[in-house]
Amino acid sequence: MHDSLNCLYCQFGDALSAGLLVAAVCSVLGVYVILKRAVFIGITLSEVATCGVAAAFLLGTPPFAGSLALVLGAVALLSLPFERQQIPRDALMGILFIAASALSVLLVAKSGPGLMEIDALLYGDLILTSRRELVTLLGILVPALLFFVGAFRPILYTFLDRDAARVLGIRAGLWETLYFLVLGIVIAATSQIAGALLIFCYLVVCPATALILSKRLMVVLWIAPLMAMTATFSGMLISFHADLPTNQTICIIACLLFITGAAIKQLVRFLVRLRIS
Amino acid sequence: MSDPIICCRDVCVAYGRNEVLHQVNLEIPRGVFLPFTGPNGAGKTTLLRAILGLIPIRHGKIITPFRQKPAGYVPQQRVIDPLYPVSARQIVAMGLHRQLRWPGPLPHSRRTAIDAALEQFGMLEHASKTFRELSGGMKQKILLARAFVAGADVIALDEPTSELDESAETEVLNHLLRLNREMGKTILMVHHDLDQVARLTNTMCRIRHGKAELIETGGSHA
Repeated sequence: MHDSLNCLYCQFGDALSAGLLVAAVCSVLGVYVILKRAVFIGITLSEVATCGVAAAFLLGTPPFAGSLALVLGAVALLSLPFERQQIPRDALMGILFIAASALSVLLVAKSGPGLMEIDALLYGDLILTSRRELVTLLGILVPALLFFVGAFRPILYTFLDRDAARVLGIRAGLWETLYFLVLGIVIAATSQIAGALLIFCYLVVCPATALILSKRLMVVLWIAPLMAMTATFSGMLISFHADLPTNQTICIIACLLFITGAAIKQLVRFLVRLRIS
Repeated sequence: MSDPIICCRDVCVAYGRNEVLHQVNLEIPRGVFLPFTGPNGAGKTTLLRAILGLIPIRHGKIITPFRQKPAGYVPQQRVIDPLYPVSARQIVAMGLHRQLRWPGPLPHSRRTAIDAALEQFGMLEHASKTFRELSGGMKQKILLARAFVAGADVIALDEPTSELDESAETEVLNHLLRLNREMGKTILMVHHDLDQVARLTNTMCRIRHGKAELIETGGSHA
């Protein structure tokens, strides 16, 4: 295992760094995705980003530009007031998800490359991350994280109690839009590298584990990235050692961490009940 | 009566083509305990939300002091999603948002203010509990503490007792009366129980057919 670790670090140091960075930032943003009960937005934006990459592939433009354009378009569409429409926002998300998923495959099928490229595009492969991609990720994800830390209170208050936040003078609409814009940019930047499945895993599974393990928001915001980074590190190591697909291995480890967390929580509850009785 | 703290002049509020409030003229005196009453759909909550600036008015003017000093707002408790892992203390801290511009731990003076607000409503010992762990009455008291903590002159409540049992309801209403009588807070409260309102205060705002008027209830409170 020690040799595997050394080899992984020597050969895929950039990929490991990128994976840990993506894991940390996406899982922190994902805590609010879950609390806002907007889990579906995570997978929808991931699929839209993938579709953007596919479109960029066909048009010969930079992949990030393609995914960013489509994701920002989707965020703008989803931020329209839906309160008085006949269909809920979730339904529109579902339509976007279906359209983006199907269109990605159609666009790639028309662009000429083989199955390997389609596979890499649609599911991503963290292990193939280059130094250039790592630098791009750093340039996008670090400011995104700083935004989240700086705007922690107004975003929390907006999501917690929108009306009370507005009465207090918080520009709730602005903060909510900014949060989803930043989320969209992060998903656009990371989807091509990590793939829609892994990004969705970071946005949902790791924050859910953290929410199970703690009832303190600040603790949750530390546990979520810790879980995501643990899953990423061990997933990359195991996939390297056992010659398994990296992203899927990370996803399975994240899910196992969730199951373990849930089991620990139940055990603690049981022991507390036992002690009381 | 003292100087008005809130003035509504020819206020109209509509949802699409449906005009809910029609040319409302109202002067709310400072320090009054004012329940908004009326039949379902009369526009009680709409008027409260318009006064707070939460919904746009079609025309007319509402003059409030909220730009200088925001009102304290107590929504119905179900507004706060129990999924959020935030403590009662964190919820009360929200009331101090204007004084907490930057991220980081709360300064000592703010912690003291939050503890004092929790103490005021007998909730200090429950400060570390999450909102989900509190009973209905406790939740309402935490939301009251949040409205109170920044020293708001006006506290606006939307059906604060609608989800409470009788004893919790009495406790919350007693807190409100104390805030009004002992601290001179102006209390605006959407309320459905006319009999109870009549016992609490001698003035109420009756909303009917899109119009609002202050009427005397002949209640014991003075």
